[in-house]
Amino acid sequence: MDVVFSRVGKRFGKRDALADLSFELQSGEMAFLTGHSGAGKSTLLRLLLLLERASSGDIDVGGRPLSKIKPSGIAKYRRDFGVVFQDHQLLSDRSVYHNVALPLEIAGFTQRDINRRVRAALDKVGLLGRERANPDTLSGGEQQRVGIARAVVARPKILIADEPTGNLDPQLSAEIMGLFSAFNSVGVTVIVASHDLALISRMSHRILTLDKGSLITVGDSQRGRD
Amino acid sequence: MSNQQPSAGIGVGPRPPISAWFHHHRQAAQASYEKLLQAPVSNFLTILVIGVALALPHLGISIATAVQGQIEQLDSPPQLSLLLDGTVTYEEAARIREQVMRKPGIAEVKLVDRDRALAEFTAATGLQDLFERLNSNPLPHSLWVYPNANVRTAGLEQLKIDLGALTGVSQVILDSRWLKRLNAFTDLLRTTASVLFLVMALGVVLTLGNTLRLGIEARRDEIVVIKLIGGGNAFARRPFLYTGLFTGALGGVMASLLSGFALMALNAPVNRLFELYDQVPAVPSLVPSDLFALIVMGAGLGLISAWYSAQLHLTRIQPK
Repeated sequence: MDVVFSRVGKRFGKRDALADLSFELQSGEMAFLTGHSGAGKSTLLRLLLLLERASSGDIDVGGRPLSKIKPSGIAKYRRDFGVVFQDHQLLSDRSVYHNVALPLEIAGFTQRDINRRVRAALDKVGLLGRERANPDTLSGGEQQRVGIARAVVARPKILIADEPTGNLDPQLSAEIMGLFSAFNSVGVTVIVASHDLALISRMSHRILTLDKGSLITVGDSQRGRD
Repeated sequence: MSNQQPSAGIGVGPRPPISAWFHHHRQAAQASYEKLLQAPVSNFLTILVIGVALALPHLGISIATAVQGQIEQLDSPPQLSLLLDGTVTYEEAARIREQVMRKPGIAEVKLVDRDRALAEFTAATGLQDLFERLNSNPLPHSLWVYPNANVRTAGLEQLKIDLGALTGVSQVILDSRWLKRLNAFTDLLRTTASVLFLVMALGVVLTLGNTLRLGIEARRDEIVVIKLIGGGNAFARRPFLYTGLFTGALGGVMASLLSGFALMALNAPVNRLFELYDQVPAVPSLVPSDLFALIVMGAGLGLISAWYSAQLHLTRIQPK
């Protein structure tokens, strides 16, 4: 699914969190979103997930204008996304397996399908042996990988990550970013918000830089696509 | 690149919507059931509150129904007294009696002779001297009419009009005021119980709604995550609706138990009251249809509470 922002603005009270933002992300493309904290990275992702509505401009996802999506349609719209959070947002009242299975349960998959997909997703992030563990007993890096498994288990069309390596050491961070690249290579559109410039500039993907709510570099849309 | 899914070979995709809907319901019911067993003491207290709230109005209605049932079976049905004109002779009175007997809905008609009536009246009142001074008997002949037991109040009023139209009848007295009073009393009891039910139902909705609100708050993280990854309000709300339904239904069972015990205790005094009216003791007791009604009502109130609570609190929880 492609993502098109056209002159998008978001205003909170008298402050512009985002102003006149335009860029286009092709289907299957991977991009990093960077900038200082408060530059508008999270706001941009929140608009994309319809956690907020834009104050001005248009956002199209997969050719569909988000302004046309009613509140009752938001849940279904979000099922096209896989989301990875900095604080993982794992539920500690259930096992790793059931955390990862949750999106599939919401989408109504059969138990047989859920079993296979959860195991496949945990295998991809290298946690196949930890299905029964409680997320609280895992290390930070492992928790983040469970979060990634949950984000990809329903095979989203777009994968979004907000500071996924925020609390991890450089080696773990590189591993996590490697996982996102791997998902992108099988056709998923990936957007990763990160302020770890050293790490993301080593990877050959487009970098969108935000500053005070405006886009100052849009990178090269052809980089990383060869 | 395209919209092609990664590793699209595994699995066959989600169920069709209807089947997924049923599956979600089964899962939510199962999860709610397990949650109920996890906190037996506090859930038992909630169930007890619902039980008491439903048992009280049920008791009132049960007693009112039992009393009204007794009234309908009273072996002295209401009676009509026909006072004939003073000029009507005993023979004419006997003919009028035959006429009345032929009317539909009449069980028996007694002809009361004016002389015997006077004798009985003077004996009963002790006013012999007064009547001895009268030259003639001031009382007319009269007829006591006993309608069939199945003739209701409206039918009695009609009968009163019909009998009043007969020649020779000067006045018809319908002697049913005490019955009306008793009926009005049981009506009052029934209405009070109904009002009590409404008040109690509101209490149940508020109490259970608040209990469920705490449950929603305790699972805020889960609701946020569900909403972030594509679950709607309906999906997040479902386990709470089942919790409300189950708690309410169990409250109905509790109400049946409490009400059953209370009726057992009330048995003796209620029957003593019936005996004063020369009635066969008839025990007001819990019947299967009451049990069913209490459970359905409890479940319905539980569902309403859960819906109201979810609407008020769950829909407000939005991912940050």
